[in-house]
Amino acid sequence: MTRTSSDALAGGMSGVRRRGFVALIAEGVGDLTSRRRLIRYLVGADMKRTHADTVIGQLWWILDPLMQIAVFYVVFTFIFQRSTPDFLLFLFAAILPWKWFSTTLNDAMNSVVSRQSLIRQLPFPKLVLPTSATLAGTVSFAFGLIALAIVFLFYLHRLTYWVLAIPLIAGVQLVFTLAIATALSAANAFYRDVSNVTGHVLRLWFYLSPVLYPTESLDSLPRGVREVLSLNPFSILLTSYRDVIWGSSHGAGHAPEFVGLAVLLLVSVILLGLAIAFFKRVEPAFARIL
Amino acid sequence: MTAATTAPATALPSIDVRDLGVRYDLRLTRRTTLKGSLTSRFRNGASDAATHFWALRHLSFQVPHGESLGVIGPNGAGKSTLLLAMAGILSPSEGSVRLHGRVSTLLTLGAGFEQELSGRDNIDLAAAFLGIDHREMAGLTPSIIEFADIGAFIDAPVKTYSTGMRARLGFSIATAITPDILLLDEVLGTGDEAFRARSKLRIQELVDRAKAIVLVTHDLSYVTEFCNRAILIERGQIIHEGGPEETVRLYQDRTRQHKLLAEAEAHRFAGAIRPAAG
Repeated sequence: MTRTSSDALAGGMSGVRRRGFVALIAEGVGDLTSRRRLIRYLVGADMKRTHADTVIGQLWWILDPLMQIAVFYVVFTFIFQRSTPDFLLFLFAAILPWKWFSTTLNDAMNSVVSRQSLIRQLPFPKLVLPTSATLAGTVSFAFGLIALAIVFLFYLHRLTYWVLAIPLIAGVQLVFTLAIATALSAANAFYRDVSNVTGHVLRLWFYLSPVLYPTESLDSLPRGVREVLSLNPFSILLTSYRDVIWGSSHGAGHAPEFVGLAVLLLVSVILLGLAIAFFKRVEPAFARIL
Repeated sequence: MTAATTAPATALPSIDVRDLGVRYDLRLTRRTTLKGSLTSRFRNGASDAATHFWALRHLSFQVPHGESLGVIGPNGAGKSTLLLAMAGILSPSEGSVRLHGRVSTLLTLGAGFEQELSGRDNIDLAAAFLGIDHREMAGLTPSIIEFADIGAFIDAPVKTYSTGMRARLGFSIATAITPDILLLDEVLGTGDEAFRARSKLRIQELVDRAKAIVLVTHDLSYVTEFCNRAILIERGQIIHEGGPEETVRLYQDRTRQHKLLAEAEAHRFAGAIRPAAG
């Protein structure tokens, strides 16, 4: 429809360019910073879309995680009879961040494909699509933290100042999620198989991550398997969340493993760079193949 | 439309297309799955011609300031691809497209609407997609709402709109900005009789104010009426470039020839099978 000369195609010039790795990343970051307002509107639209047409509307943002946790609680205390102390808080500390990750990936993966009519009619930086989907997921995670606060009312003896470290851990998870979401959204535009495969991979990943069980239950596994599993980013993330929210079987919340988090942050930043470069590299093809 | 003479001789052309080529990868078109793409990759090996299709190739032309260019040609010649490449939606596989000034294609008639957002919020969203400064859009919003003529519905979610209301809002947003370069795919008509008359007037206004226009159309009378130059495209290449009347005439001659050839072919074919059948 309309395009201003301040657009990504600076000066209205477009031609064949082979851009380097660093140039691709710089361009991608430029796309995001110059279109902050668009990202904000898209996040807002996303929020309005979920739970629209419901009677209690926004209240679902908090009720949703509470009800999900209630289901797990019933299953694991009455059927599997877990002996973990304060099991509800134990579960909540891991399910909340996992739900953030899995729903964000599902939304972000389809973010490019679902905007295909617009992509064919308008030039705009497509990188805003997975980014805004990821940020919308982050907002709903923030609402989940309100639910966590409610749950905490019943477990005040476990509450320490370490809960203030949650944003720190969430920050690492955000970078990691954004990297995966960006790469998958582009790949899914080419091959719809990606979203099918991802669904199954996510389910397997869920059971391989210490969501429903403590990391210690893996101690009985052979050493090699344990080492491979400990490379799982969600092993590091969920253990950290659990450290600051639930603590241990002996006591209240305590400091997370900062070294593991720092390494994961570094790896995630590198992954994000690769993902943005990949996205920018294939972006020109979107209008042709969608 | 003859403002070209008043522009300084040194002025840059508004549109400068050089050796433009747009190539489609047939392995990746529409709803492919990994398996399909891999098998075709194995089957075709390295043969480039089987997997790639040049929708446009070696196209060069300029549209000077003040000119209006008509693009004509048979279906599948690459006219729409050319427009998409000029709009920056398709990036060139070869060559370059250079545009000077604000471009508008009037394409997005509501494609980007968010159903749950109000009409007013959708105006903001559309502006953000278009990269229009929000302060500029804030100034334009009242006139957009007025032109769309949807009254109090502007603060209701777009999902409650009728098809006509949606089209009117899309059209008002698309035409709110006066572009320097107008790229038109067919001449648009939306909504009911009354709105169509108003929208025609609005487009005429944009056409009058634009510094350069490219019109892709099947309606040859538009080319002779609106354009002062025309190009004929066939199979992704420029066959002829010149005055609108002569280009249209050439196109009509060629289509007539093609039709005659096709008829002769059909006769021959019919003649060939009839004895066999009898």
